[in-house]
Amino acid sequence: MPVLEVKSLSKQYTKVLAADSVSFSVDEGEIFALIGPNGAGKTTTIRMISTLIKPTSGDAVVAGHSILTEPEKVRASITYLPDEAGAYKTMTGKAYLKFMAGMFAKNKAEIEEFTARAEKMCGLGDRLNEKIGSYSRGMIRKLLLSRAVMTRPKLAILDEPTSGLDVINALEIRKMIKELSRTEKTSFLLSSHNMLEIEFVSDRVGIIAGGKLLEVGKIDEIKEKYGAANLEEVFERVVNSK
Amino acid sequence: MKFLNLLKKELHELINVQMIIGLVVTVGLLMSVGNMMSNVMDDATSETGTVNISDRDDTEFTRSIISSLESAGFEVNRVNEDNSDRAKLLESAGCDSLIIIPKGFTDEALDSASGDNTVSVGLELITSLKSTSALASMSDKTSAAAEIISDIVKKEFMTQKGLSEDEIGKIEVPLNISEVTVVNGKSAVVSPEILTGMIQSQGMLIPIVVFILVMFTSQMIISAISTEKIDKTLETLLSAPVSRISVLGAKMLAAAIVAIINAAVYMVGFYGYMGSMLDGAVNNADVVGSALTINDIMKELGLKIGISGFILVGLQMFMTIVICLAASLILGALVNDTKSAQTMLMPIMVLAMVPYFVSMLYDINMLSPVARTLVYAIPFTHTFNAMNNIMFGNMNLYWFGLAYQFLLFIVCMFFAVRIFTSDKIFTISLNFGQKKKFRSKHK
Repeated sequence: MPVLEVKSLSKQYTKVLAADSVSFSVDEGEIFALIGPNGAGKTTTIRMISTLIKPTSGDAVVAGHSILTEPEKVRASITYLPDEAGAYKTMTGKAYLKFMAGMFAKNKAEIEEFTARAEKMCGLGDRLNEKIGSYSRGMIRKLLLSRAVMTRPKLAILDEPTSGLDVINALEIRKMIKELSRTEKTSFLLSSHNMLEIEFVSDRVGIIAGGKLLEVGKIDEIKEKYGAANLEEVFERVVNSK
Repeated sequence: MKFLNLLKKELHELINVQMIIGLVVTVGLLMSVGNMMSNVMDDATSETGTVNISDRDDTEFTRSIISSLESAGFEVNRVNEDNSDRAKLLESAGCDSLIIIPKGFTDEALDSASGDNTVSVGLELITSLKSTSALASMSDKTSAAAEIISDIVKKEFMTQKGLSEDEIGKIEVPLNISEVTVVNGKSAVVSPEILTGMIQSQGMLIPIVVFILVMFTSQMIISAISTEKIDKTLETLLSAPVSRISVLGAKMLAAAIVAIINAAVYMVGFYGYMGSMLDGAVNNADVVGSALTINDIMKELGLKIGISGFILVGLQMFMTIVICLAASLILGALVNDTKSAQTMLMPIMVLAMVPYFVSMLYDINMLSPVARTLVYAIPFTHTFNAMNNIMFGNMNLYWFGLAYQFLLFIVCMFFAVRIFTSDKIFTISLNFGQKKKFRSKHK
């Protein structure tokens, strides 16, 4: 049974059809990536799945819960890391993790457990006692990523997880995602316009452009299907052929 | 060339549609309020007007005084009613001020010329105090008429005595004027100017406190919402298993608690300020005619605000704060970059400035019906006026203001909740001309 099943999700803004009948699924422990250029409809699709915005039509089921009828249960099963997200600058890293743990935990023991897990994962050490305002972009991203997975969500939704990061920080984050999917069976829904990164980290991809999901499949399979050397070439050929 | 290029870029950054609209609205609002008030100003500052005179002496001399007043441009309304209770006298005469020329005024004025160089006769000036605004004091013509009467008596006195220029200079007080002030049906022997000055000096802090609170609260919540929106911490928070109403409620409550602490601290300080001011005996025994302090007189006239009065002022301050919170939630939601966050405060600032200046300078009830309605439509006006309304017993206006503020709060909250519980919190924007850019960014 898939952790996420997206069924014909559409979102119509006043003049723009931002997502047009998007359908795909993500299995347990799978890393699924939505790839496409800026404005393709990735963030809109992710926001609908995260219950932040309501779809115009269609539905998505997360861990057996519909985003339309059980949004609170969906939110309890997922974590969402927005693109270029920040954190509360006046809080220390530790206080932020504790605060966010409190949003998901059922009791104090769970808060401590989640926080300890995130502290270990982010690798920020003593810097966690300093205010987030003093952190570099890479440090904030590591903090947020560890926050996103500390609660052992069934589905972690990461929008452009490495955008704006240097090579070393980006590599560390990619490794962290792969490790969590392998060891803890966490499912990931990623979005990125960096196709080489996705090629490295994800199991399956969905190519989206102009709000439409044009192709879904395993990377090797679709590369072979389109006779492409890499994902960028696949993307170019998919968009041109449709 | 490079400098011009840089200058062009800086100007392009600074001058945007929001700023221009803000400026146009501010100028338009201030000009229209100014125009509407110009008539009030003209009436108030004119040197003549209607005076009510009760001529109880009714001699040729007093009749000539009244004729002189009429020649000077005053419209004299003769009052025949009499009552030892001055408040009831004004009520039965249907006027707000009255000059009483007492029986024997002519004899005393003319006879005293044979004695020393002072005139012992007196006029009685009764004024009903309904407002302490600067313009309200100016619009009362009784004092101006009393001065003319004083001049006439002085002239008559000099003619009778055949005084030289040097001797005329020695006559400093040709006429004793006894001033009675009526407030809320109670009267006291005190000059309305002294009372007005005292009340103004006490009340001047209220508009300042309200203005600070409005700006502080709005800035706080607009900044809180816009920062969360710009940093995308709001998205993170709203994707957690917690209801949006809880997120909104926590923000509102936290801001309200901080604002209430502020209001309470200001009010405690203000209460102390008023207490020390009123407890001191004021050196005006000759005017008051007894050893009474202003404190006693204000108590006698029902102008001293007790704890309950302060609670009522505090209540409107609280309503002002919660309206600011709700309105700022909406304004904060409209923000999508740091620049628009700064300009979002402007509508609230303009709405706070108008009643701030109007209530300091004018009696709002003296404005034309249109201007009055516009000014009262601003919810902060009621708080700026709360102290005056309570002091002068305009409790209907106070309760109406409170009910209006509550209604407005509900309306603002309704829209704030609608925005927060829908997609609008992420899609709404006031970035004129940049909506397309914003939409495509959020696609």
